[in-house]
Amino acid sequence: MIRMYGVSMSYLASTYALRDVSLDVGKGEFVFLTGSSGAGKTTLLKLLFAAERSTEGQIIIRGRNIARMRGAAIPELRRHVGVVFQDFKLLNRRTVEENVSVALQVRGEAPRIVRAKAFQMLKQVGLQNRRHDYPLSLSGGEQQRVAIARALVNDPEILLSDEPTGNLDPDLTLEIMDLLVQASTRGTTVLVATHEHGLLSRYGKRVIHLEHGRIARDVPAHDVST
Amino acid sequence: MIRLGYRLQYFVQTAWRGLRSSLLTSGVSVLTIAVALGLMGGFGLLVLNMQGLLDRFGEDLQVSVYLEADLSKERTQELDATLKSVEGVRHVEYISPEQALQHFLSVAGTHAGLIEGLDHNPLPASFVLTLAPEKRTKQDMAIVVESLQGLPGIEDLVYGADWIEGYTRAIGFVRWLAAGLGGVLVFATVMIVANTIRLAVYARRDEIEILSLVGASRIFVSVPFLLEGMLQGLLGGLLALAMLYAAFRLALPEIAHGLQLLVGLAAPSFLSSGDMLLLVACGAGLGCFGSLLALIGGYRH
Ligand SMILES: Nc1ncnc2c1ncn2[C@@H]1O[C@H](COP(=O)(O)OP(=O)(O)OP(=O)(O)O)[C@@H](O)[C@H]1O
Ligand SMILES: [Mg+2]
Repeated sequence: MIRMYGVSMSYLASTYALRDVSLDVGKGEFVFLTGSSGAGKTTLLKLLFAAERSTEGQIIIRGRNIARMRGAAIPELRRHVGVVFQDFKLLNRRTVEENVSVALQVRGEAPRIVRAKAFQMLKQVGLQNRRHDYPLSLSGGEQQRVAIARALVNDPEILLSDEPTGNLDPDLTLEIMDLLVQASTRGTTVLVATHEHGLLSRYGKRVIHLEHGRIARDVPAHDVST
Repeated sequence: MIRLGYRLQYFVQTAWRGLRSSLLTSGVSVLTIAVALGLMGGFGLLVLNMQGLLDRFGEDLQVSVYLEADLSKERTQELDATLKSVEGVRHVEYISPEQALQHFLSVAGTHAGLIEGLDHNPLPASFVLTLAPEKRTKQDMAIVVESLQGLPGIEDLVYGADWIEGYTRAIGFVRWLAAGLGGVLVFATVMIVANTIRLAVYARRDEIEILSLVGASRIFVSVPFLLEGMLQGLLGGLLALAMLYAAFRLALPEIAHGLQLLVGLAAPSFLSSGDMLLLVACGAGLGCFGSLLALIGGYRH
């Protein structure tokens, strides 16, 4: 589903944020991306929805090299890649429902379907009763769930999430993580960048460690149920 | 196509929301557009009424051909045929001395005494030539008259009304003024909308970024702004119409006397429904164009 070959990326001429990264993530796979601050986690995610362009290498998503993609093709890519941003990036002047709906509207879905899917999705994240409220009247955790609902509502092939549990209490963290894991069991490829080592061991998913822009370790998933 | 239909609801909703969220700047924009369009409509109205007057009175633009006294019947008929064959002459009417006298008495009023003492009718017979509308200018009339001059049997030729010549020139002037002013106002309208939309784009740059991150195409992001500009133009156009109509109804009686000199006694008419539609459509079109300019300049950032 996601293939990277020798991908390098530098914001400034002399330094690399990512250096010669190659990886292969399958459909429905759940991958943690970890590493110390500045290791390149956010940069890697950004390359996957073309918010930044790599300076070298190939990134194959849905059979296309998005590293060489025309700007006009980017919207179509993003309609298949749901992103949960660390700062949520909600539309503050639109209601919760409208925030979730917009991901469907950009695809030209019929209003009837938009309403039905948005409601269903909000129900899944437990916010159906807040659907007419505005994001700023929600708690941080609730806003985060709106962001997740928006990222998942159009059943994306890939879900990217940067520090999804950054400022949540432990209960909420697990709740959010469960939503992400559920998405992967439905066939969505999920990449989660996180600092929290507790999560890594708890879920036993594949973990890719980044250090100074390079992949230092790639630990495959293992069974944690015992 | 269907998808476009689905999106339309979203686009209109978003444009309307945008307009409401910046009530002050949008309001100022709408007002300014209304004033600009109102001025343009006002000039249009003036030209329209002046032209209408000319069309009505232009019929009177005739050439009178006075005949020598005691001209033979044959010669008169010959002349009639000749006059009818002159290029630019649409209609030829014979007026006998008796008809001329009757007409004179009917319009002369108190001056009728002038000829009362005479024992015979002093008025000559004449032909009245009506020219084709496109020939009703001083030059064309002079050409027609010149071609008649010296024909045997013709005593005198009288033509033209200087006021019409002057009036035609006045209409031309007002029309040029309207066109010039219109050009400036069109430019101003486009700039105002462009500026308002540029501000709106700037104020909503976060929203634009977020939309683009969830897969909105450039068109999806832009159309609400285009509609917003169009809506401003549309509202401005409607407001302009309302102002024009109010001015027409309320202010007209006040300045009626002065206006009579300009557009004559005929009751002035308001814009036709087609012209009203045109004015509003103009507003909408200019608004759309203005926001297009703003988007071309402002989207990248
Ligand atoms: N917009 C930018 N301009 C210049 N340099 C940048 C930019 N964004 C990131 N960098 C640099 O690229 C490197 C990788 O940054 P990145 O944000 O990917 O790290 P990260 O792993 O997400 O860190 P954190 O855990 O703190 O979020 C860092 O050295 C950072 O300073
Ligand atoms: Mg980061």
